[in-house]
Amino acid sequence: MSEKISLDEIKKMAQLSKLSFSQEELEQFFVDINSVVSHFDKLNQLDLSDVSPTSHISWSQPPSNPDEPREWPGRQEVFAHAPQVIDSYFIVPKVVDKQEE
Amino acid sequence: MEKCYLTIGLEVHCQLLTKAKMFCRCGTDYIGKEPNSLVCPVCMGLPGSLPVMNRKAMELAIRTAMTLHCEILPRVIFHRKNYFYPDLPKGYQISQFDFPIGINGTLEFMGQGEKKKVRIKRVHVEEDAGKLVHEGLNIPSECSGVDFNRCGIPLVEIVTEPDLHSPEDARDYLTMLRSIVRYIGVSDGNMEEGSLRCDANISLSLTEKTMGVKVEVKNMNSFRSVYHALEFELSRQQKCLAEGKKLFPETRHWDETRGVTVSSRGKEEAQDYRYFPDPDLLPHTIEQVILNDIQSNLPELPLEKKERFMFDYELTETEANVLVQDCSLANFFESCIKELNKPKFIANWVITEVLKNLNDLRQDIQHSKITPAALMDLLKMVDRKEISGTIAKSVLEDMFQSGAKAKDVIAKKGISFMSNEKELEKIVHQIIEQNPQSIADYLSGKEKALHFLIGQVMKVTRGQASPEIVKNILNKELSAERSLCGPREPF
Repeated sequence: MSEKISLDEIKKMAQLSKLSFSQEELEQFFVDINSVVSHFDKLNQLDLSDVSPTSHISWSQPPSNPDEPREWPGRQEVFAHAPQVIDSYFIVPKVVDKQEE
Repeated sequence: MEKCYLTIGLEVHCQLLTKAKMFCRCGTDYIGKEPNSLVCPVCMGLPGSLPVMNRKAMELAIRTAMTLHCEILPRVIFHRKNYFYPDLPKGYQISQFDFPIGINGTLEFMGQGEKKKVRIKRVHVEEDAGKLVHEGLNIPSECSGVDFNRCGIPLVEIVTEPDLHSPEDARDYLTMLRSIVRYIGVSDGNMEEGSLRCDANISLSLTEKTMGVKVEVKNMNSFRSVYHALEFELSRQQKCLAEGKKLFPETRHWDETRGVTVSSRGKEEAQDYRYFPDPDLLPHTIEQVILNDIQSNLPELPLEKKERFMFDYELTETEANVLVQDCSLANFFESCIKELNKPKFIANWVITEVLKNLNDLRQDIQHSKITPAALMDLLKMVDRKEISGTIAKSVLEDMFQSGAKAKDVIAKKGISFMSNEKELEKIVHQIIEQNPQSIADYLSGKEKALHFLIGQVMKVTRGQASPEIVKNILNKELSAERSLCGPREPF
């Protein structure tokens, strides 16, 4: 039997994901996530000691680029879609880490 | 105060010298460029874009790991390191996690005259983040500006084991590491411009066997600030321990202007980066032929070069150290020697005059107007005693500024070669006739009188004669006089 996820761990996950939920929602997640985790118990019944972890279904030579720069012509279009651009900077609400203050 | 045991580990990021970014074809030459002018859908994290690896970046990262004697892990897997910050448009940085390029390496460096060794824990490759601007002429104070030009530039991260034990060690290790990344051409290692960045982990313990509490120091932008930040942290932690206070794990930022470190966040609040393999990039294996090729093309490293210079050219350790710190300077020196086989003489000129001029002009040898051939044209004249060292120094200064040839500078300055001995002999005779007292003084054993006479000849020739030749002629003439006067009385 795998260890269940606690409500505190769910709150921590929400915090890390920068998401906020109501108490009811958190409780619903508690039920849902625990049922998902329980499902993994089934997988744990298999003996996989000789199988190495799969990080990707393909293991082959991937495409690669030569080290030759090329200009991308579409940046004006990106500027046009950005909420605000000043002096070619994308403008976002002030982000100063505590450490930078 | 009781004895303290200091332990330091460093994490260094170096921008790799590629022309294009790590996973797209945007250019990397971002310094001084208009913001967001080197961008594309991949490095701006636009939906639907897919990263494609730059072969050269991988090669440079492998070269770094091999040079640091790492065990190379030929399986390449990229991971996503997730964090939320506007300089990272995808919401994750493509990095490496459990399969870095290299592990278990070493680096040797000279620390306070002693050869020291640091273990390298890992070398991995990752992409750089963008830059945030918090103040600008037109950016409102409640806003920040984002520039993605730097976003996606390839980096290698080089992590040491906690093998350094003083701020001096940390600085000397960094100096050697910078020298090495420049030698092998993987990075320009410029800390002030941010192409080499360093974070430090430092801990202080009262016992040798146990490690203290790990404090991370960030935001050090020069070799000097790494040294000063660590010195500050050492004395701060010493004071805490002396007062019986408890240290706790934290991240501190170096404040250059105030010369202090400032706590930013407790380590217990450390972020969870939720690393997982990036499904957009295929795991793959680096072929052995490629590894062999990189291995066989590794250049000679600073310490090896230093030892060779000391052995082959009979230079002192100090001389060799100065010459090998910059690979282009070492190459420059060796090209000079091919023109005139007098290594000591040339080393002396390179270390004093060449470096002085480069320093004055804030140039490095690669970008200076002086070629080995140009310097040697001048030094050969000095060697043949056609011009004095003093004149050569002023000619060299001019050559550095104008890029003109030695001969042209000499002609322009109206310096004529007073190497014509016949002409010089005439002048020497004239001086001897005009200074009978000095001659008598010299003949009666006052060596100083000879210097006076040389000075007089130099004055008449307006400094254009070679003092060496003048001295030879004077000696010849005076020994003739001496033999006329009989043997000198002992005194």
